[in-house]
Amino acid sequence: MTIEFEPDRTGGDFRRLLERAGGSAPAPLSPVPAAGAPQPEPRPGAGVRMRDRELPLGGEAHGTTVIALKYQEGVLNVADRRATAATGILYDEAEKILKLDDYTLIAIAGSYAQAAEAARYLRHSFKYYARSQLQEMSLEGKLSEVSKVLAQSVPSLLQGIGGFVPIVSTYDARKGEGRVFFYDILGARFESREYSAAGSGAEKIRGALEYIARAKKPFPEMSLDEALRESLLLLDVAAGLDPATSGLAGYPPLAKIITARGIEDVPEERVRVLKRELMTGV
Amino acid sequence: MAYTPYDWQQTLRQKADYVEDRLRGGSPVAALSCREGILLLTTRRTQSKIFEIYDRLAFAGLGNPSDLEAVRHAAVDFAHAEGYQRSEQDVSIQRVVGFAISPALKRSFADPFRTPLVIRGLFVQVAEAPSEDLYYVLNYDGEFALYHDYAAAAGTDFAEVLMERVLSGEGSPNPKRKPRKALSLEEGLQRALQAWSTGRWALEEGTEAEPEPEEWEKAPLPPEEELRNVLAEALEGGGERVEAALLERDLRRERLLRFLPEEELNAFLP
Repeated sequence: MTIEFEPDRTGGDFRRLLERAGGSAPAPLSPVPAAGAPQPEPRPGAGVRMRDRELPLGGEAHGTTVIALKYQEGVLNVADRRATAATGILYDEAEKILKLDDYTLIAIAGSYAQAAEAARYLRHSFKYYARSQLQEMSLEGKLSEVSKVLAQSVPSLLQGIGGFVPIVSTYDARKGEGRVFFYDILGARFESREYSAAGSGAEKIRGALEYIARAKKPFPEMSLDEALRESLLLLDVAAGLDPATSGLAGYPPLAKIITARGIEDVPEERVRVLKRELMTGV
Repeated sequence: MAYTPYDWQQTLRQKADYVEDRLRGGSPVAALSCREGILLLTTRRTQSKIFEIYDRLAFAGLGNPSDLEAVRHAAVDFAHAEGYQRSEQDVSIQRVVGFAISPALKRSFADPFRTPLVIRGLFVQVAEAPSEDLYYVLNYDGEFALYHDYAAAAGTDFAEVLMERVLSGEGSPNPKRKPRKALSLEEGLQRALQAWSTGRWALEEGTEAEPEPEEWEKAPLPPEEELRNVLAEALEGGGERVEAALLERDLRRERLLRFLPEEELNAFLP
């Protein structure tokens, strides 16, 4: 990268910086080919296969079930630890809740390679903007940056590989509350009122989430302990119905919270204690 | 017209004189390690002069604001492109200053057809322990020097030497050097303010009586009362404000540079 002393050549846009630096963004994030550029041939049946998330693709690591819930103080993210490849279990200690900045988490389901790389890209992109422009990127700006990254996975989706679905949680200091956003695989963004879940196991528990919110108590009124208990139990339910989701039996699930103080891990010990209670039915 | 080596040397000399003349008026920058992180301190009128470069790196400097901006942007750009293409841990102050900024600055300075950048910069890298913190002072011609524990950048060498002496703890009841014990943020703030005032004093009052370079290490430091006056004058009459930031040692956070709010500073100001 040639260093020139000209103020602000990129306007804080990290993609432009990478282009200038001469390095290419990694394949899953490479821009949509320009019109006229050779397009990858779509494989017959690839679309069908992509829509059906329960038929994992050969060899590619997939993350499975993640849940984001609003609770009294902010947002709780909980994820099982399983990464699958084809019909096998690849890893049972995977971390699927990643930090984007000190107040934003991304929980990922789907292609692990693309999602982890996207999170790394987004983390750099937010920090680059803030440091070069001397102001934080707005929440809206961050959310659409996530959309852009998702849209860039379209070429690989057409080839029948990749694709992931993120849930973005953040603490909105202006409103003084946690917020949860979910996306579809092409980058459409929706804000969720109380909760969101993604991944193959999520389909099995969406109804249960709604039932809890209506029959027991709205999630935003729950304490951390209540929200944690419900979400861990839901993960175990999902694990019972979805072979790609690990439940409470194995390595304890990962739980993180975002509050006005920023992001914190829920201590593993606390998860273990709750896990024991839930498993023995005390 | 022929361009001779003599002209080239002359040009560099003139450029250096021009830059050094302009730097003399700049507000000094003091930095030192304390338990909580690296404290950077200077004064400003309007534009900020302390900046975050990357995860563990910060930059402060004096000079022409747009030149500072240009160097800052170059450093931020290099660090982020590298950090993404490799990893966060591969971005170090030594690479940013030594391999990216310094050679480019030297090239630009030696180019006879370009206006030199008016800048003296201080790059710092925070580590897990204060003893591992790194300081690079970078000059307008691309030269740089590495320091530990503390560093200063000011308009003249004399001012820098006096500031370094204050930062080292000379004259304070518990000099930092022997039994090496990291300062608290409050102690660091006091010492940095004292160093800044000493630097300003050396640039103003001290210039007339500036001793020969070999005397700098032994030249008497101005009395404390005089330093308070220098600071008070700058803050009242000069319309300057103290700008201080802590590059925090808590490496779990994504953003480490925290500007100290006025309330936190006021207790230490005259």
